[in-house]
Amino acid sequence: MSAISELSSLSRRKGPVTEEEKRANRRDNKAAYVFLLPWLVGLLAITIGPMLMSLYLAFTDYSLLQPPEWTGLDNFIRMFGDARLHNSLGVTFTYVLVGVPLQLAVALVIALVLDKGLRGLPFYRSVFYLPSLLGGSVAVALLWKQIFGTTGLVNQVLALVGIQGPGWISDPSTSLSSIILLHVWTFGSPMIIFLAGLRQIPNMYYEAAEVDGASTLQKFWRITLPMLSPIIFFNLVLQIIGSFQSFTQAFIVSGGSGGPSDSTMFFTLYLYQKGFGQFDMGYASAMAWFLLVIIGAFTAINFIASKYWVFYDD
Amino acid sequence: MPLFSRQASANPGGSARTKSSAAKRRLRASGALAAAAAVVLALGACGSGGSAPKSSDGKVELRFSWWGGDKRAQLTQAAIAAFEAENPNIKIKPEYGDWSGYWDKLATQVAANDAPDIIQMDEKYITEYSTRGALLDLSKHDIDTSKLDEAALNAGKGEKGLTGIAAGINAATILANPAVFQAAGVPLPDDKTWTWEDFERISAELTAKSPKGTYGSAAYGTDEASLGVWLRQNGKSLYTDDGKLGFEPSDIAEWWTFLKELSEKKAVPSASEVVEAEAAPLDQSGLATGKNGLAFWWSNQLPALEKASGGELQILRFPSKTGKSADTQLWYKASQFWSASSRTKHPEETAKFINFLANNVKAGEALLADRGVYPNSEVRTAIESKLTPADVKVVKFIDQIKDELGEAPAPPPKGAGAIQEIIKRYTSEVLFNRLSTEEAGKKAVDEMKSAIS
Repeated sequence: MSAISELSSLSRRKGPVTEEEKRANRRDNKAAYVFLLPWLVGLLAITIGPMLMSLYLAFTDYSLLQPPEWTGLDNFIRMFGDARLHNSLGVTFTYVLVGVPLQLAVALVIALVLDKGLRGLPFYRSVFYLPSLLGGSVAVALLWKQIFGTTGLVNQVLALVGIQGPGWISDPSTSLSSIILLHVWTFGSPMIIFLAGLRQIPNMYYEAAEVDGASTLQKFWRITLPMLSPIIFFNLVLQIIGSFQSFTQAFIVSGGSGGPSDSTMFFTLYLYQKGFGQFDMGYASAMAWFLLVIIGAFTAINFIASKYWVFYDD
Repeated sequence: MPLFSRQASANPGGSARTKSSAAKRRLRASGALAAAAAVVLALGACGSGGSAPKSSDGKVELRFSWWGGDKRAQLTQAAIAAFEAENPNIKIKPEYGDWSGYWDKLATQVAANDAPDIIQMDEKYITEYSTRGALLDLSKHDIDTSKLDEAALNAGKGEKGLTGIAAGINAATILANPAVFQAAGVPLPDDKTWTWEDFERISAELTAKSPKGTYGSAAYGTDEASLGVWLRQNGKSLYTDDGKLGFEPSDIAEWWTFLKELSEKKAVPSASEVVEAEAAPLDQSGLATGKNGLAFWWSNQLPALEKASGGELQILRFPSKTGKSADTQLWYKASQFWSASSRTKHPEETAKFINFLANNVKAGEALLADRGVYPNSEVRTAIESKLTPADVKVVKFIDQIKDELGEAPAPPPKGAGAIQEIIKRYTSEVLFNRLSTEEAGKKAVDEMKSAIS
């Protein structure tokens, strides 16, 4: 927040601008664009270009093997009647609405513990951050598959106490929960951000509260949470956007099938199957744009709702 | 040393903006030049990613892609080496991987106009690719088809001509692991007379007499081959000649009802284990690891499975309803096809290589029976002495069932690539009791119809 106020004070410069300064500005701009060029080329060629292409493809029937044919709104109309797509939306919403709050809660709790001035903090921070570095990776998803298999580590431990566990990821009633758990486990990056946020809360508030005889819980509710709300908001927005797009875990854990019985069929996974497996790239493109609209809507709701609970201390 | 010290950096003093000196300007200009040059270089590097028609030493380079495991890779590399020795001007670049990723990759490559020159093709996808113009009509090129088995040759023909040369002949089989039978003290079945009831009884007995976690048989229901056999034994078929579905919801429901019966009697693994087994590669399959006594496989997969299991396996016919082997209704399947991209820059060299694979004894000596029994009768005879004991079993089995075969099935229509996934999905719905067999049958058939329409 302090960085933003610095930026705004920069733009609010006083006094008239001289010719010399204008010329210098233009030169600076030119140089900036030249240095930005590699990034700009990448943005245009690798992001904007394909996005526009997929917008076009969303209105076509495109099998990958033959040139696309214009079909207007057909793909979007088909989405209304696609039961598997509706199921995939359900799976994705469950994942986001359960996984994100859980993950943020865990991240906050760990951050609070670490913030207590533990000895060897950098070490613990790294240890807790490690899953996030690995979490999206193929190796960890594969490991997850082993741990939660019918004869995996979890069931072996359960067997010691006489419980016959289900096949956590191969049983449709528990498979999505296993993937949500994997998501929660990768709480590292919101944790780091929370930790940074906690350190920004001035100590004087706590000192004042102490003098007034506030309990630890009261201090948390009355000081920590409100002061941290911009950070929570930031994490919430980022995690929701990221979670809607998550793909790797479900793809690896289900072996690319979204199974068993479509119980881990994320929207993105279904999109991938349609586009690359079933020669229906037009439909897949339409789905991608639909997902963009969903994410946009969620982010907008988030920003509107933030007015009522996010507290800016400036 | 905390990284985030409380209140440490409240105001680092703001970023002062200094006026640029002449020296800095010069530096900037040269920096810009360097940046621009870097972009040009990077773009240039991207551009050369496409298929280079000739490598630097004047050789023609062809790309050849297939799916399969390590054993197939070794054998195929040997065949490539034999071809390159005879044709020093052609270089073959192999690209291979697992079945599951193969088709995603191929579709993308074709879309990007970057398809491999020689493509290992499956009957499930050949109509999709050939009717959409992605495959070369090989009859227009110099490939000798006179020695090839007629049924196998016809399997590669479609409305766009001859777009695939059969790489081998296959049959749907049940493979048995005798070690599992022995350990349980259960005799191997007589596959000439066994019925589905026998299959159920033997599998259940095997499970009962084996250690926990070992099952009499792997479950069917994860592929269309076992469904195909079942339907044929009931006078139906997967597909009709005009490219429609050849069965009703009640037919597939009956197939699932029997599977549920097998599951209830513990003749096959639990639902969760069935789902897990689907994802396992061949060498970690239940049959290879000794967890299943019986399993459903194609005949050509026996050598690789034997290698993985480290013991002997036995090929069995499918059970029938009547107990007569003539009613098993098996058929010869073209295991895979050699196809060529219609946009290859070197159709002549590509055809030459496919001709070599199909007709040259040296190719046969390298590939043996990994892709099924050789469709070329001359090659088949010439390589007999080189075959491994496992290969010999496969060849013998294919010979044995010759007079029992049913009619050749109709080729899978466009969109058939999606059928297996639909079968799998509803099999797990049924095994987990989420849908009744009738409901699953109705839904599955609806989905299949729309997939191939």
